[in-house]
Amino acid sequence: MAANAVGALARKKGIAAFLGKNTNLVTFVVLATILGVMTRGRSFEWPSVRNLMIAESVRAFAALGVGMIIITRGIDLSIGYVVCLVASVSASFAQTPDYMAALYPGMDFPIYLPFIAGILTGGLFGFFNGVLVAYGKLPAFIATLGTMSIARGAQLIYTKAAVVGSVKDAYKVLAQGSVGPIPNLALYVVVAAAIVWFLLRHTRRGTNFYAIGGNPVAARVSGINVEKELVVVYTFAGLLYGIAGCLLSGRLGLANALTANGMELDAIAAVTVGGISQAGGVGTVGGMIIGVLTLGIINYGMTYLGVDSYYQLLVKGFIILVAVYFYIRKYSQR
Amino acid sequence: MADDRAEYVLEMLGIYKSFPGVQALDDVSLHVRPGKVHALMGENGAGKSTLMKCLFGIYREDGGEIILKGRLAKFHSAKDALEAGVSMIHQELSNVPERSVRENIWLGREPLHRFGPITFLNHGKMHRDTAALMKRLEMNIDPADRMGGLSISKQQACEIAKAVSYEASIVVMDEPSSSLTETETEHLFRIIRDLTARGVAVIYISHKMSEIFQIADDVSVMRDGKMLGTWPASELDEDKLIKLMVGRDNTQRFPTVDSEIGELRLEVRGLTSAESRSFKDVSFDLRRGEILGIGGLVGAQRTELVEAIFGLRKTSCGEILVNGKRAVIRSPRDAIRHGIGLITEDRRGSGIFPLLSVTENTAVASLGSYIRGGLLLEHRRIEAEARRFNEQLRTKTPSMWTQIQNLSGGNQQKVLVSRWLMTLPEILIMDEPTRGIDVGAKFEIYTIMAELARNGKSIIMVSSEMHELLGMSHRVMVLCAGRHTGTLEGPEASQENVMRLATQFE
Ligand SMILES: Nc1ncnc2c1ncn2[C@@H]1O[C@H](COP(=O)(O)OP(=O)(O)OP(=O)(O)O)[C@@H](O)[C@H]1O
Ligand SMILES: [Mg+2]
Repeated sequence: MAANAVGALARKKGIAAFLGKNTNLVTFVVLATILGVMTRGRSFEWPSVRNLMIAESVRAFAALGVGMIIITRGIDLSIGYVVCLVASVSASFAQTPDYMAALYPGMDFPIYLPFIAGILTGGLFGFFNGVLVAYGKLPAFIATLGTMSIARGAQLIYTKAAVVGSVKDAYKVLAQGSVGPIPNLALYVVVAAAIVWFLLRHTRRGTNFYAIGGNPVAARVSGINVEKELVVVYTFAGLLYGIAGCLLSGRLGLANALTANGMELDAIAAVTVGGISQAGGVGTVGGMIIGVLTLGIINYGMTYLGVDSYYQLLVKGFIILVAVYFYIRKYSQR
Repeated sequence: MADDRAEYVLEMLGIYKSFPGVQALDDVSLHVRPGKVHALMGENGAGKSTLMKCLFGIYREDGGEIILKGRLAKFHSAKDALEAGVSMIHQELSNVPERSVRENIWLGREPLHRFGPITFLNHGKMHRDTAALMKRLEMNIDPADRMGGLSISKQQACEIAKAVSYEASIVVMDEPSSSLTETETEHLFRIIRDLTARGVAVIYISHKMSEIFQIADDVSVMRDGKMLGTWPASELDEDKLIKLMVGRDNTQRFPTVDSEIGELRLEVRGLTSAESRSFKDVSFDLRRGEILGIGGLVGAQRTELVEAIFGLRKTSCGEILVNGKRAVIRSPRDAIRHGIGLITEDRRGSGIFPLLSVTENTAVASLGSYIRGGLLLEHRRIEAEARRFNEQLRTKTPSMWTQIQNLSGGNQQKVLVSRWLMTLPEILIMDEPTRGIDVGAKFEIYTIMAELARNGKSIIMVSSEMHELLGMSHRVMVLCAGRHTGTLEGPEASQENVMRLATQFE
C-alpha cells in the first residue's frame, strides 16, 4: 500500500512537473477552453479551426525565424517591413499581364519567379542583418532597426507607394488552395516547422545555436565559429520571412505599404509566450508554434466575441504580460 | 642542441602581447616536456592566463613563435588549437547552463549520423560516450542532467572531463582546483597522473602552493609579464617559490590576530532555511573584534547560511539579533542598513559589473555615503577612496577607469573585496575570500581582516582552505549537511576535529 501511495505521488509529481515545464501548453489549453465555453463549442468546429490556421500561418513563418534568432540571444525588428517588401516584390512579378497599373505592364513572368525573387529578397536582408550582428558587432536591436528602415524605404521606392494588385489566380491558388479540408498554408507551416525542429534538435548547427545563446564564450572556446553561425541563423530566418511574404501576397492577392506592418511584434510576442527566453539558449519549435496559436486564439476569439478592436489590443497586451510574468518567475526560481 | 628540440612537445618562444595600457607578455618563453606536469606560477595579473590564451588561439600574440610537436603552429581560433591537440580548462567556468552535461561535453564536435550529404546528431552515442567517459574518470555524474542544475564543483568536474575527452597531447588547466575540495583535488590529481602516464603534457596553474609540490615536475615562474625561468620542482620549496613569485621575502603566512573580543554583536537563533534540504536550526554568536570561521565540506550549506543572514535567501524560522536588538532582514538593503556586508563566493555571477570600471565596481555599494547636499555624487572623493582600498590590496590594473572585465581573475576578486571594505561594515561576511588570489595578496587580505578585528569589527569567514580557517579564526564553527555540528576554540581547533565534525553524518 505504501508503495502504491509512493507510486501515486510520483505520478502526481510527474504530471505537475510536466505542467510546470510546459506552461505554454497550459496557457494555450486554458485559453482555448475558455473560448470554447464562451462560444458554446463553436470555436472547436472545423470552420473556426480552419480560419485560425489560415490567419496564423504567415505569422508562424516569421515566428520560426525570429524564434531561432532569439535562441542565439539575438532579436529581429526588421520582420514586418521585410515581409512587406517581399510581398510587394513577389506580387509585382505575379501581376496579370493585361493589368494597366502593373509594375511591369505586359510582362508575363513564369509562376516560380515571384517566389524566387521574394525568397531571395528575404534571404538577402537576413544575410545583411547577420553580417552586421556577427562581424559588425552591432547590437541586434540596433542593426535590425536599421535594416527595418531600409526595407521600408525600399518598399516605398519600389512600389512608388502604390498598391501592387491584380495578382494572377495561378499564383493565388498556391496560398489559398487546400488539400481536402486542410488549407495549403497550414501544410507549408507543418513542413517548415518540421525542418526547423530537425535543425534545432538533431543537427550540430542547432546545438550550436543553443550554445551561442546560452553562453557565447563557452561556444567560442569549444571551437564553434560563432560569427558564421550567426550569419547562418539570420539568413535562414530571412529565407523564412521570404516565404512568409510570398504566401501573404498570394493569400491577399495584393501587397501595399501596410501589409505585414507590426508583424515583428506579433512574432516576438508569440515566441515569448511560447517560452523562448529573451535571455537566449532556451526554447523549442513546439513552443514557437504554441505561442503563435495562443496569440491566434486570442485574436480570433475576441473578434468572434465581437470585442471592439481597440479593446482587443488592450486585452492582448495584458495576456502577453501575464504569460511572460509566469515564465520569468519559473526561470528565476533556479 | 638539436636533440633538445625533440625533448619538448611544446615550445613558446619570445611571445609578446599587449593590451591598451599593459604589456601583458614581454618576451615570454616556455618549454613543455611530454608526459610531465608543468606548473605555471605567478601573482595575479602576471600573465599566466594570457599566455595560455595565446596558445589556445583566443588571443593573437603580437610577436613570437609557438612550436607544437616540432612544427610551427599558427592558431586563429580555439577550433584550430583543439584540432592540433591542445585542450584547455578555463579559469572561469565556461559551460552552457541550460543544456545537458552530454551536450556540453561534445559541444562543437558532436558524434553524427551520416546519410549522404545530410548529417544529424547521434544522441545515443553522445550519451553512451559521456557515460563511458564519466565511468573512466570515476565521476558520478548523469550525462542527461542539466548543467546549470549541478553544484559548482560538479560543473568543474565536467569541465575536467571535457578537457580530457579531446584526447589532446597538451592539456592546459587554468586554476582547475579553485572550486574543488581537497578530496576532489586528489581525484583531479589521479586523473592528471593517468594523463601523464599516457604521455600527455599538463600545464597546471594554481595559487595553492601545496598542490604544486604534490603534482608538478617542472615549475615556471612569471612576474609582471616576464618569464623568470623554469626549475625542476624538486629544486624548489614553498618559501623559495613564493620569493620568486613576489620578488621579496615573505616568510610569514598569517598575521597575528590580536584583537580584543568585546560585547555581543550578532546573535543567530535557530535559523532555518525556507528550502527543505538546506540549513536547519543554526544558532551562533559573534562578538566585537572576533573572527568566526565557518568550515565544512562542499554541500554543507555554508554559503546558503551566510546568504540568508545577508537577506538573499528566505528563512522559515529563527531570528537574527544585531547589537541585542531583533533585526528583520528581508533583502541585502536591510542587511547593509544593519551594518552587514557580504563578499560573495561566485564573483562572476553575483559580484562584478563587467563593463563598469574598477572605480565604479569598488564604489557601487557605498555610493550613499558620498553624496553632497543630498544630491550630487562626490566623484573625486569616491575615486580617491576606491583607489586607496585597491592599493591596499595591490590590485593590478592599468588605471582606475579600466573595465573590470579586462583585469585578471584574481584582480577582479581583489576589487570585490575592496568594494565591501569600502562600505565600512560592522559585520563583514567573507565567503571564500581568497579563492583564486595569489599568496602575496592573501597575506594582505589577512592583514586587513586582522586590522578590522582590531578596530572592533566582527568578521565571519567561510573557507574551504583548512590553513586559513585555522590560522585566522578565533573560533571555528563547523556545518555538516546544513546542521551546526560544533564550534571549536583554541587548541581544540585542529584539522582532525574540523574534519570529524564536517563528516559527522556521512
Ligand atoms: N582582454 C584584456 N584586455 C585588457 N587587458 C587584459 C585583458 N586580459 C588580460 N589583461 C591584462 O593582462 C595582464 C595579465 O592578465 P592574466 O589574466 O594573464 O593574469 P594571470 O596571471 O592569469 O592572473 P590571475 O592569477 O589573477 O588569473 C593583467 O594586467 C590584465 O589586466
Ligand atoms: Mg588567470
